[in-house]
Amino acid sequence: MDTKWKNRKKIVSFLIFFLGISLSLGSIAGLFRAKPYGIRIWQLNRLLEDDYQQSESFRAYVVNRLDNFLILATGGEGLWYTWGYDNNVYNGVYYDNGYSYDSVYRDYFEDYEYSYAGENVIEQEDVREDIRKGRNTGEAFSVPDQEKEQVKRLTDEQKREIAMRYHDSIKGDKNLLYTIAYDGEVLYSNADLLSENGTPVAPDGYNFLLYFDGEKVSIFKDGKEIDVYGDGYYYEDSDWYVPGYTNFQAGDDVKKAVVCIAAAKEPVLYAEGAYKEGGARQYGNDLYWMNVSLQEGRKEILKGFMGLGLGCILLLGVFLCRKSYLEATEGIARVQGKIWLECKILLFLGLFYAPILLGLRFGYGLWEEWAFYEYDYGLEEVFWLGDELAASIPPLFWIVLFWGLWLFFNDLRHNKKIWRCSLMAKLYRTFTAKNLRLPISKKMSRRNLIVFILTFAYGILMLGGSILAGIILRGEYALLVVLLLAAAGTVCFLILQYLAGAENMKAARDLETLSRRITQIRNGDYGAAYNGEREDETDNETGGKVKGQNAERFQPGDGLEDVMAQLEDIRHGMAMAVDEQMKSERMKVELIANVSHDIKTPLTSIISYVEILKQEEELPDHIKDYIKILDEKSQRLNNMVQDVFAVSKAASGELPMQMEELDFVKLLSQTMADMEEQIQNSDVTFRTELPNVPVMILADGQRLYRVFQNLFQNAIKHSLKGSRVYVTLRTENSLATASVKNTSLQELDKEKDFAERFTRGDQSRTDGGSGLGLSIAQSFTEACGGRFSWETDADLFVVKITFKIV
Amino acid sequence: MVNEMGERVLVVDDDREIVKAIDILLKKEGYEVLKAYDGLQALDILSRESVRLVLIDVMMPKLDGLSAVMRIREKQNIPIIVLSAKSEETDKVLGLSMGADDYVAKPYNPQELAARVKSQLRRYTSLGDIHAGSRAGEIRNGRLLYNTEEKILYADGEPVRLTATETKIIDLFMRNPGRVFPAEEIYRRVWEEDNFVSENTVMVHIRRIREKVELNPKEPEYIKVVWGIGYKMEKQEKNS
Repeated sequence: MDTKWKNRKKIVSFLIFFLGISLSLGSIAGLFRAKPYGIRIWQLNRLLEDDYQQSESFRAYVVNRLDNFLILATGGEGLWYTWGYDNNVYNGVYYDNGYSYDSVYRDYFEDYEYSYAGENVIEQEDVREDIRKGRNTGEAFSVPDQEKEQVKRLTDEQKREIAMRYHDSIKGDKNLLYTIAYDGEVLYSNADLLSENGTPVAPDGYNFLLYFDGEKVSIFKDGKEIDVYGDGYYYEDSDWYVPGYTNFQAGDDVKKAVVCIAAAKEPVLYAEGAYKEGGARQYGNDLYWMNVSLQEGRKEILKGFMGLGLGCILLLGVFLCRKSYLEATEGIARVQGKIWLECKILLFLGLFYAPILLGLRFGYGLWEEWAFYEYDYGLEEVFWLGDELAASIPPLFWIVLFWGLWLFFNDLRHNKKIWRCSLMAKLYRTFTAKNLRLPISKKMSRRNLIVFILTFAYGILMLGGSILAGIILRGEYALLVVLLLAAAGTVCFLILQYLAGAENMKAARDLETLSRRITQIRNGDYGAAYNGEREDETDNETGGKVKGQNAERFQPGDGLEDVMAQLEDIRHGMAMAVDEQMKSERMKVELIANVSHDIKTPLTSIISYVEILKQEEELPDHIKDYIKILDEKSQRLNNMVQDVFAVSKAASGELPMQMEELDFVKLLSQTMADMEEQIQNSDVTFRTELPNVPVMILADGQRLYRVFQNLFQNAIKHSLKGSRVYVTLRTENSLATASVKNTSLQELDKEKDFAERFTRGDQSRTDGGSGLGLSIAQSFTEACGGRFSWETDADLFVVKITFKIV
Repeated sequence: MVNEMGERVLVVDDDREIVKAIDILLKKEGYEVLKAYDGLQALDILSRESVRLVLIDVMMPKLDGLSAVMRIREKQNIPIIVLSAKSEETDKVLGLSMGADDYVAKPYNPQELAARVKSQLRRYTSLGDIHAGSRAGEIRNGRLLYNTEEKILYADGEPVRLTATETKIIDLFMRNPGRVFPAEEIYRRVWEEDNFVSENTVMVHIRRIREKVELNPKEPEYIKVVWGIGYKMEKQEKNS
């Protein structure tokens, strides 16, 4: 119940995150798409402006109209470009304005136009400038000479004709009313905007009024006058590009002209039933469309802001339950971890390729454009291009791109080594021989790898060849089928090759496992290995990395499972036997401990009374001799009890050890110094050969002292009179070996195991030793982690003790 | 060899022969001996008689030795020596932690046992000295006391006769109890020569000091060899 709720919480939190991000991103992208050109996203008041008369476009439109009307009023020549001119014939157009000059100048400026995207709004004066430049220099555009001449030779008649046509084409659009007068006489008008006394009056429903009195322009909006000129100077970013500034005078020829323009508050669509001329048609209705697109854009922007707000609220919600969210991301990462890296890369690249495809669809290379602008115009134009990009790429794309990146970083964050799960890694793991150490399995895997690589390369070549041939022979379908079959066959071949190779590698690994297991059992590790843990304890060299794989590989492989099972039986039997042995060993130790304790009590009495007897002074000499014998033997008995106890404890591994780093050289010299008296009094001499530098080993000093004490005592006791005992310490690689060599007094029995308990050089057992000297030495050395060995060569008896140098 | 003071020692062991043997041994040394054969009996005697020292076996019927030691300790502050057939180091530590002052493994060396009894009694007799704490220039370690000004070592309050070299070694050891000295360093600081000859030179002196200081030179408690490293003066936990 609890986990179910937890899971649900995870899913819900992630869904909220998903929605929040998608909504926010989509809204932001939508905002960029919907916002009018030239306004930055943070200029909120301008973005949300719902009065079309406040827009840049409207101002440009009105200014352009004023320009044209002034031309009409003065009968100037400037209208030529508004109309288009071809072979001395004027082409009437459906609408005119500063924005849609394309249909007019298509023929003249084809090259120029095609270098731009279709609907770009370009400042009117820029166009005008460009055109003039072209005309003057004749470089940028090639205008036929003949046409140039014709344009220059416009007659007054023609001018009037142009003006009338122009007037005809726009007068029906009652969204914009105008009255053009010159020298007190109204020339063109579609509404009477001038009252009797010459002051401008706007009709009802028209809240925008522009009045040019021949020198200056005054603008009234909703009955209030707008400050047109500011400080009287025209600047690049001044709102109104109209004459009347100190640095932009109207000029003498328009002194007598009066122009009055009124714009509708709410423009409507005007049409004309010109059935004589080919049916009903709509006027330009520029203001109407301007207003419609503004309202629509505003709706889009509002939608965008609402979406963004909602998205942010959702994200805030995710922040509040971020624990569940993080758990959810982990869950997603777990799923991701199971997908091959190659698949992920392909998907991701696909995502990145999408914008390029989209960009291409817009008719020209966005990226080249970008580079060009950055080079030529600097950052301002890059901003423009940013707008362009934002406007041309659908919001969905940004959302998809974000999620692509999010998935990538989520993967990177939780699955650290993301390359681990990939096709290449899988291939590598399948065919690597890194964990194989035995010659047989190594050889198998190497052979397998070579075969695999060669056939794989062959297959890839075949496949590539088929595909290439297919591309070249695109048209020939009969051949194409054959090639397709060949390609399919090659793919099957590759898969088969992979499967066979993987099987071979598995066999090699199984063989390795089996061999290792045999080695392990031979080395005396009888622990159950099916769970793989025991093996790791003994198998330290391979390290922890192999651990998991070992556990995995200990499942008996195909084909070898019978052998493995049989081997396990053998191991089981041996383990039981060893267990049994250990148990009896432990029982023996317990028995010995009890017995030695029981012996100690009567021995205490014996020793005590012998001591009392020793102190009796009035005893005859022969009794004193007896007492001396009793004394010696009771002491020997005491020593034996202690030795038996020690050796049995050491053999069962119950001896407490205090391991520390110590100098092997020093230990040997200390031991000999300690036994100096004994050595001096013996019939043998000691020869030593020790290194001058310390040889540090890890051992229990007290126990190791006992080892050498016993060895030296043995050597003293069992050596030929007058012979020498050689004590040497040699280091080789990381091992230090101490050896004690002596010439035996008795002839040595080759077959005898001297370290076996109670084994003695002479069989009679009459001297003072317990017969446990070598046995103690051996068990103590082994308890310290050293290696004890002995050998005989004729009468030479050699004991070697080896430790690892630290 | 008769001890004029005739100090009373209580011997407790369930083995009557051992008690008798110790009785004979200690009487020869001049002590007065009381006998008990189990823990309860021992407590009974202690409640009636004034005793200067207790020798007690661990494994006994009715009340075992270690429990008895704890109960004695509740009432009396007299030296207690524990006897045991167990010779493991852990058994020894257990015995001492129960409140015993010394621990002797069976089968014991009768001479050594007598020496230990004597040592414990001496330390308790010179009680005033001990509890006065170490005076200026005096270093105490267990039953050893070293006067750094007079350069005299006292064992159980009795001065130990040491040669000049031995005194120098003891000086070094008593001033640094617990520290392990490599033979080379001892040689350099005592002989004041740089050319270290052999381990033997140092070892000979160590052995001689042991014979003078230790109760059982074969199983030294104070001057120890740290095999493969050097020599040291063992710092005694019980300083009283």
